[in-house]
Amino acid sequence: MACVAAAGVAAMVAEALRAPGERMPIGPLGAIGLAGAAAASLGLWNHNATSFSLVVADNFGLFITLVLVVVGILSLALSAPGIERLGLPRGEYYALMLFALAGMMLMATATDLLLIFLALEVLSLAVYVLTGIRRDSPAAVEGALKYFILGAFSSAFFLYGIAFTYGLTGTTRLDRIGTLMAGQAMSPAPLQLVAVGLLLVGFAFKVSAIPFHMWTPDAYEGAPTAVTAFMSTGVKAAAFAAFARVFLSTFEPLHPYWRPLVWTIALATMVGGAVVGIAQTNVKRMLAYSSIAHAGYLLVALVSANDLGKGAMLFYLLTYAVTNLGAFGVIALLETAERPFDQMSDYAGLWTARPALAALMTMFLLSLGGFPPFGGFVAKWYVFSAAVKAGETTLAIVGVLTSVVAVFFYLRVVVMMYMTPAGRSSDAPAVPAIAGAALVASALAVLYLGLLPARVLDWAAASISTIF
Amino acid sequence: MSFPVLSSLIALPIVGALLLLVVRDGDRHEEVIRRIALVVSGLVFAETLLLWAEFDAASAEFQFVERYAWIPSFGISYAVGVDGISLFLIALTGVLTPLALLSSWESVHTRTRAFCMFVLLLESAMIGVFVSLDLFLFYVFWDAMLIPMYFLIGIWGYERRVYAAIKFMLYTMAGSVLMLLAIVGLAWLHYGATGRYSFDVLEMYALTVPTNLQFWFFLAFALAFAIKVPLVPFHTWLPDAHVEAPTAGSVILAGVLLKMGTYGLVRFAFPLFPMAATFFAPYLATLAVVGIIYGALVAMVQPDLKKLVAYSSVSHLGFVVLGIAAMNTQGLQGAVYQMLNHGVSTGGLFLIVGMLSDRRHTRAIADFGGLKAVTPRLVAVFLIVTLSSIGLPGLNGFVGEFLILLGAFTWDPRFAVCAATGVILSAVYMLWMFQRVNYGPVTDEKTAALADLQPREWAVLVPIVVLVVLMGVAPNLFLRPIEPSVQRIVDRLQEAAPAAIQARDHVFIP
Repeated sequence: MACVAAAGVAAMVAEALRAPGERMPIGPLGAIGLAGAAAASLGLWNHNATSFSLVVADNFGLFITLVLVVVGILSLALSAPGIERLGLPRGEYYALMLFALAGMMLMATATDLLLIFLALEVLSLAVYVLTGIRRDSPAAVEGALKYFILGAFSSAFFLYGIAFTYGLTGTTRLDRIGTLMAGQAMSPAPLQLVAVGLLLVGFAFKVSAIPFHMWTPDAYEGAPTAVTAFMSTGVKAAAFAAFARVFLSTFEPLHPYWRPLVWTIALATMVGGAVVGIAQTNVKRMLAYSSIAHAGYLLVALVSANDLGKGAMLFYLLTYAVTNLGAFGVIALLETAERPFDQMSDYAGLWTARPALAALMTMFLLSLGGFPPFGGFVAKWYVFSAAVKAGETTLAIVGVLTSVVAVFFYLRVVVMMYMTPAGRSSDAPAVPAIAGAALVASALAVLYLGLLPARVLDWAAASISTIF
Repeated sequence: MSFPVLSSLIALPIVGALLLLVVRDGDRHEEVIRRIALVVSGLVFAETLLLWAEFDAASAEFQFVERYAWIPSFGISYAVGVDGISLFLIALTGVLTPLALLSSWESVHTRTRAFCMFVLLLESAMIGVFVSLDLFLFYVFWDAMLIPMYFLIGIWGYERRVYAAIKFMLYTMAGSVLMLLAIVGLAWLHYGATGRYSFDVLEMYALTVPTNLQFWFFLAFALAFAIKVPLVPFHTWLPDAHVEAPTAGSVILAGVLLKMGTYGLVRFAFPLFPMAATFFAPYLATLAVVGIIYGALVAMVQPDLKKLVAYSSVSHLGFVVLGIAAMNTQGLQGAVYQMLNHGVSTGGLFLIVGMLSDRRHTRAIADFGGLKAVTPRLVAVFLIVTLSSIGLPGLNGFVGEFLILLGAFTWDPRFAVCAATGVILSAVYMLWMFQRVNYGPVTDEKTAALADLQPREWAVLVPIVVLVVLMGVAPNLFLRPIEPSVQRIVDRLQEAAPAAIQARDHVFIP
C-alpha cells in the first residue's frame, strides 16, 4: 500500500519535474507531465496513501493537485502567445512554471511543517523569477523585487513559527503536533500561540490577505499576464491547501485562539480588497485587488471551520482558479510588447473589435462578481452558507455586501467593453488556437460549475471528509 | 408526467437566443433576426395562453409542477409550478415581450442581434422568477435577470445610460444579497428542524420560524423586494433606469420587473414569515401610502414624459403594496390584479411615449402640444391607456384599485383614506399631462409634421387596448383563477395573526 503510494506520489512530482530536465522545454511536454500527475491523482483517489510519513495522497491533497493540474494546463496554453510577443526565454519560462507547479503540489500534500516550508520555497523562488522574467521592464523588476523581499521576510516568519513549534513539541510532523496540541488545548503555552501566529503570518502573506498584501498589486501588474494568471490561482490554491491542512487539522484544537485573528484578517481582506479595487484604473491591479477580496472569502470558509467551510474552500478554489485564469487569460491574449493592454481605457469598444473575447471576459467578470448562472455564484453561496451555519453572521453579511461593492469595479470593465465607443482596441493581435481553446474551456467550466455544480460539490465534500 | 410546459417556457427563449447566435450579425440580416426573435416570443405567448386554458381555476394548489434534483446534497431542486398568482404574471411577460420587440423595430438599429438575444434571455429569466418553487432557483433567476437588463439599459439607452444601468444593478444586488443570506438561514433552520436539507418553498411554508428570526428574515426579504418594487425611499434607481432605458427596456422594466418585487412579497416574504409580516404590515403600508402620494406629487411636476410615467409607477405600485399589507382577500386579490393592470397600462404608456419620442426625438412635455389634430389615432389610443391608468370605471385600472381600497378599508380605514387621495392625484397629473401634450394649438412645426400610427404600431397597441377593455369589463375571467391561491395565503396569514399580535406586545425590537 505504502509502496504504491510512494511510487504514485513520486511519479506525480517527478513527472512534473521531468519536463524541464529534458532540455526540450516546450509547452506540450509540460502538459504531458501534468496529465501524468492528473492520472496519478485519479489513480490514488480514495487510497489515502502516504510516503515517508511526509507526504500524504489523501483526497484533500489530490483535489488540490487536480486543481493545480487544471491551473497548470490552462497557464501553459495561455503562455505561448505571451512568450512569443514579449520575447521571453522559452525554456526557463516553462521550466520555472513546472517547478513552481511541483512545489505547489508538494505543498498541498505535505504533512510535515519542514516539507511544507520546502515546498513553499520551491514554488516561491520559481514564481519570484517568473514575475521578473521581463528584465527590461521596470514594472516587472519592481514587482519581482517587492515580492521577493517581502516574501523572504514572510518565509522567515514561517520558519520561525516552525522553530517554535518544534521547540515546544519536539517534532515537525503535523499529526504528532496535532495530538500534542489536542492534549493541552485547554491551556496552551503562550509560546505555542506565538508559533501559531507566526505561521499565520507566513500563510497570510502567500494568500495575499490584508495586511500582508502589499506585494500583490505590484507583482500582478509587473509580471507578464500569463504569469499573473498562474500565480494568482496556483499560489493561492497551494497556500490555502497547506493553510487549511495546518490550521484545520493540526491547530484545530486551538481554533478558539486563532479564530479572532483570522476573523479580523478575513474581514479586513474582504473590505480592503473590494474598496481599494474601486479606485484602480489598471485592470491587472483591479484584478489583483479582486483576488485579495477573494482570499477574504476563502478565509471566511476557513474561519467557519466546519465541514461545509472546508468543502466550500475546495469548491471555491477550483471555481476561482478557472475564472481568474480566464480573466487574466483574456488580458494575456490582448497583451503585446508595446502595449500591455491593462488600462481600463484600452478596453473601450472591445465588443466591436473582438466580440468573442469581450463576451468571454464578461462571463469571467460576472462569475468573479458572483452572478448566477456562473460558477462564482455557487462558490460564494457555498462559502456564505458555511459561514451562516457556523454562526459567523457578521462575516457573511460583510461578505455579501463587499461582493456588491466588487461588482461595481467588475462592471466598469464591462461598461468599457460594451458601452464606450471604440478606442484603439482594433490593433490587438490574433488569438492562437490553443490559447483560444483554453479560454473557451475555462468559460465552459465556469458555466458547468454554475449550472450543474452537484457533482463537483459532492466531490469536494468527499475530499475533505477523508482527512479532517 | 405530461409535457413539461413550464420548463419549455423557460427554455424556449434561451433556445431562441442561441439560434440567433447562429445567424450572422449585420444590417443585411437585421430583418431575419428580428423576425426570429418575434416568432420565438410569440410562441412563448401562445404557450402561456395554452397554460391559462389548461389551468384549473378552482384549485389553490400549484399546477404543472416539475421537480428534479439539482444539487441533491443540499436538497436544492429544480422545482417549478404555477398557481393563480403567478399564472397571469407569466402571461403578462408573454404579452409584453413580443410587444417590446415590435416596438423596437424602427428604433433599434445598432447591434440588433445582441439586443434581441438580451430581450429573449430576459424573458426566460423573468418567467423563471415567477415559476420557481425552490428558493435557490428563485434567487438564481432573480439575480440572473439583472444581467440582460443591465446590458439593455447600458447599451441601447439614452444619454446617461451607463450611470442608470450600474445604479439599477447595484441597488438591486445590494438588496438581494441579504435575502440570499436569509434564504440560507432558512435552509439551516429547516435542516435543524427536520434533519434534511431543503430549499423548497412548500416545505418552508410548513416550517415554524422562531419569532426573532422571523423578524430578521422578513426584513432581509422585504428589503430586497422593496427595492425592486420600489417602495419609497428605495425608489431612486427607478426614474433613472426608466428614463434612460430604451422603450423596450422601459416596457419590460415597468411591466414585469417591478412586479417581481410585489410578487416576492406575496409569494415569499408574507407567507413564509406570517408573524413578522403582521408585525411590519402597518409600516409597509405607511411606506406604500407615502409612495402613492409622493409618487403622484412628483409625477405632477415632471417636465419629461418618461419620468412622469416612471413616477406614476411608484405611485401605482404603492397601491399594490398597500393591498398586500392589508392581508385580506380583497386587498391581496386587488393587489395581484393591480400588478397586471399596471403592467398593461404602464407598459402601454411607455410604448406610446416611445413612439412619440421616436418621432419627435424629445420627451419633454413642453415640446408637444396639439397632437390631437396631427395624429388623431395615436391620441385616441393614448387617451384609452391614460384613462385606464387613472382607473376609470369600465377599464382595467378601476377594478384593482377598488379592490385594494376595499381591502385596506376593512383593515384600517386611515390607510384607505390617504390612499384614495392618490386616485385623485393620479387623475390630476395624467390628465394634465394628456392635455398639455394633445390639446391646444400646435406650438412647433416639427410636431405638425408627425405621422400617425403605422400598421406595425397598430399591432403593438391593439393588444394593449383589448386587454385594457377586457380586464375592465370582465374582471372575473382573471379574478376567478387568482382567488383560491390568494385565499390560501390569506388563511395562512390569519392563522398566525393572534400569535403575531401577542408578539407585538412582547417583542418590541426584533
